[in-house]
Amino acid sequence: MNARTGKPGTAAASGHLTARDIAALLFVAEMYAVQLDQLAVVLGVTEHRARAVAAGWRRAGYAGSARIGPGRPWVWLTRAGLAACGLRYTAASPALSRLAHLRAVTSVRLALEATTGYAAAGAFWRPERRLRAKAGGRVGLREHIPDAEVHWPDGAAVAFAGECWAIEAELTRKTVARTAAIMHEILTRTGDYGCPAGQARVPGLAARHARVVYLCSPAALPTVARARAALGGAAGRVEIRGLPPGTDMTGRPAAPAAGPAALRAAGPAR
Amino acid sequence: MIRRYLSLLAVLAVLRAAGRLARVAAVAVLVVAAAPVSLVAAVAVTAAWRGGWPPRRLYRAALACLPMVAVWLIAVAATTRSARQAAAAPYQAWLASWHQVAAGSVALAAVLIAPAAIPLGLAVAGVAWSRRIYTMETGTGGLFPTSPAAFRARQWRHQVRTARARIAAPGSVPLLSRHGDVVAGAVIRADGHRAAGVATVPYQRLRSHQVVIGTTGTGKTTLLLRLWAGFCARGLQLHAAGAGRRPLLVVLDCKGGADSRRVADRVRRVLRGAGARSTAIWPDEASLSLWDLPPDRLTSTLLDMIEHGTGAAAYYADVMDAVVALAVGAPGGPPASAADFLARLDAGWLGLAYAAPGHEDEAALLRSAGRQVTDIALRFRTLLRRLGPGLDGPGGYADADVWYCILEGTADVAVAEAQARALVDLLAWHATHGPGADREILLAVDEFSAVSRRLPIWQLYERARSLGLAVQVSAQSWQGLAPDDDDRYRLAATADGGIWLLRTPHPEPVTALAGDQPALDTSRRLLGVPRWGREGSSRVREAPVADPALIRALDVGQAAYIYRGGVTFVQVKRLVAGPAALAVVPARAAAPAPGAVAPGAADGPAGRATAAPAAPVPTAPRPAPLADVTALLDEAFGTEPH
Repeated sequence: MNARTGKPGTAAASGHLTARDIAALLFVAEMYAVQLDQLAVVLGVTEHRARAVAAGWRRAGYAGSARIGPGRPWVWLTRAGLAACGLRYTAASPALSRLAHLRAVTSVRLALEATTGYAAAGAFWRPERRLRAKAGGRVGLREHIPDAEVHWPDGAAVAFAGECWAIEAELTRKTVARTAAIMHEILTRTGDYGCPAGQARVPGLAARHARVVYLCSPAALPTVARARAALGGAAGRVEIRGLPPGTDMTGRPAAPAAGPAALRAAGPAR
Repeated sequence: MIRRYLSLLAVLAVLRAAGRLARVAAVAVLVVAAAPVSLVAAVAVTAAWRGGWPPRRLYRAALACLPMVAVWLIAVAATTRSARQAAAAPYQAWLASWHQVAAGSVALAAVLIAPAAIPLGLAVAGVAWSRRIYTMETGTGGLFPTSPAAFRARQWRHQVRTARARIAAPGSVPLLSRHGDVVAGAVIRADGHRAAGVATVPYQRLRSHQVVIGTTGTGKTTLLLRLWAGFCARGLQLHAAGAGRRPLLVVLDCKGGADSRRVADRVRRVLRGAGARSTAIWPDEASLSLWDLPPDRLTSTLLDMIEHGTGAAAYYADVMDAVVALAVGAPGGPPASAADFLARLDAGWLGLAYAAPGHEDEAALLRSAGRQVTDIALRFRTLLRRLGPGLDGPGGYADADVWYCILEGTADVAVAEAQARALVDLLAWHATHGPGADREILLAVDEFSAVSRRLPIWQLYERARSLGLAVQVSAQSWQGLAPDDDDRYRLAATADGGIWLLRTPHPEPVTALAGDQPALDTSRRLLGVPRWGREGSSRVREAPVADPALIRALDVGQAAYIYRGGVTFVQVKRLVAGPAALAVVPARAAAPAPGAVAPGAADGPAGRATAAPAAPVPTAPRPAPLADVTALLDEAFGTEPH
């Protein structure tokens, strides 16, 4: 919302950004790029209104937008937008090969953030882009970085306060061995991303991720389930769910079993 | 006349027998008269024999009793107020003890005479045991000529038993001694070295070159682990005290395979207990960046990693040198990755890079070598693909306290050779120009000869010496130390920190380096079968200080440490590692939140007597059962699909 008019985005071109503008800009920056319907959910406005907001950002030079894939246009932050947010990420339009994955991860985030527990606990979403930036852009060739981490602050009013979860959105099926190796790598990691190589996996230290949550497409689900079974004792730390509705780039609800929060998150507007 | 002569002979024989009898009787009387002393001496000699102790130990025990004697004498002088009474106290105690024995009170008699009898008995035992050993070493003792050899073999068994008992006692063999020396284990026997209960190696010696030779299954890894842990622990202690640089241990395991991975995991767990915060296992879990080298060094390293021919092929080597130098030294800066470097090995790319004015010489060079650029790119593309991502970053030696680098020297020699070359070059640069200049570096190479075709091991040795690195070379045999005898002798002769020999079938070249010592060979006259007389002759000969036969027969976990013309046989104390690095996590159990601290080894390498020198050993968090998150996930994503 504009400070005077109360509408988000209208003053972006003139350099005045509302709190919701800033939050949405940060959201887009962290998720690499989002589609217009997802931006509308973030802003809490109709899709039509979100289009106007995005246009305002584009006029201000903060964002770029284009219809680069099926469904709604995509919005991403330019170098100026990232600089305005104080983020040192490399500005780039989203790669075509990653569009589906980016949308899936954003859907997962929106669905999780829509739960009552998330807001009540004051949980924190640490996206892959931030993890990669922390690693200095020099991630080892075989090092796997999860799609996000969710940090549950100590003392929060949830049973799992203090935990750190790894989030994985699986759209395509890999081999069971590869998936199990990724699960094992995530569950045995002790150091933060970007820490010295020798501290990444220190025996005896507590694991960084208390659990890993896999959100799978129907195609990837059997592989992930078998990989979890292959983990043995650590399988109890792997949670598997279906991707939330609205993961499809056309915006059509896809997952048959979706919770109310996911449906709310996937809703076109409020 | 004859009768007189025979009578004389008979008289002489009787006199001799009487004299011998009188001597025996006198000794018996003395032994009985000094019964308390005799008893203590007998017990002490028996203990020394059973334990394989040196006589020095008995002398030290006698000396240790002197304060007790002094207190006793002072007490007597104080109660009687007479120095004369104090001087006569041993005699009075002796008399009193006999009276008590006569009265039937043996215990009281023992208490009365103990202050005088114990030190005296120990001293007598020391003399007797020393004489026994001397007669056996010179071949004059025992009933048979074979007795000395049997005595030596029996004493070796006794000494081994004592050493094993010592390392089995909890806390008796800490990782570091009170003086900060690294304790390798319990001493079995020492020749030319100070005899002590535990074998210690000063930290300074670990910072010099050392050689370790032992076949598979003899405990070489156990010994190396102990030395590495000692190096890390003492180095971190000194660093924490501001008296030394932080230690960095780099291990090049040139065998590779599953066995190397198991050792690497053990190394990590053991060294963590010794204070090393992080152990990087290359290339499985960590990587190094070859591209961190400065351009000139990078160029020569890249060229050294490629196999060159000789003769006419030298021309192509020169062309390759020129092209690589152009690619690395391009105006935009050196390449940041393998992909970047390979992209530069393109005539078009190089042409553009050197198109600007001021680069006419490079452009001319490029025109000359332009036709070969594609071939050179092909060779490097193949090499870098085979090398894998381990040298493509990110990471550097500064990232960890310990680097365990596994080279597949058995499976893929050519690749391992190139990797060894790159790793050593990186370490050399790190030690001189990188953050490693502030580190105390020990480079341990195992079976390096398997990969030393491009980098001769003596060159590594001398290069390390000039860089201030300590190098520890280990091999399974004398032949495995280096490709030829010259190099082997060069390595062994310059091992300032000493040579460790475990069981090996051909120890002679190394034992010869320990030198010789005078030994006595005694012959004995044969009187009849099976009787030998006491008459004979002796001659002095030179015998090796370190007996090769003994080294050939060493058991698992036993090592001979040769240093400065002496040898110490050691029963190495095995370090107990912490829990496995990737232990299976119990079902529905998770580790606590990030930032929690780790468990230490229950009976860690440092033992109970040695505190971890650097970071405090963390306490073990018990994994708490995972909280149920079903409700939250169901709310967000629906129920778990089946």
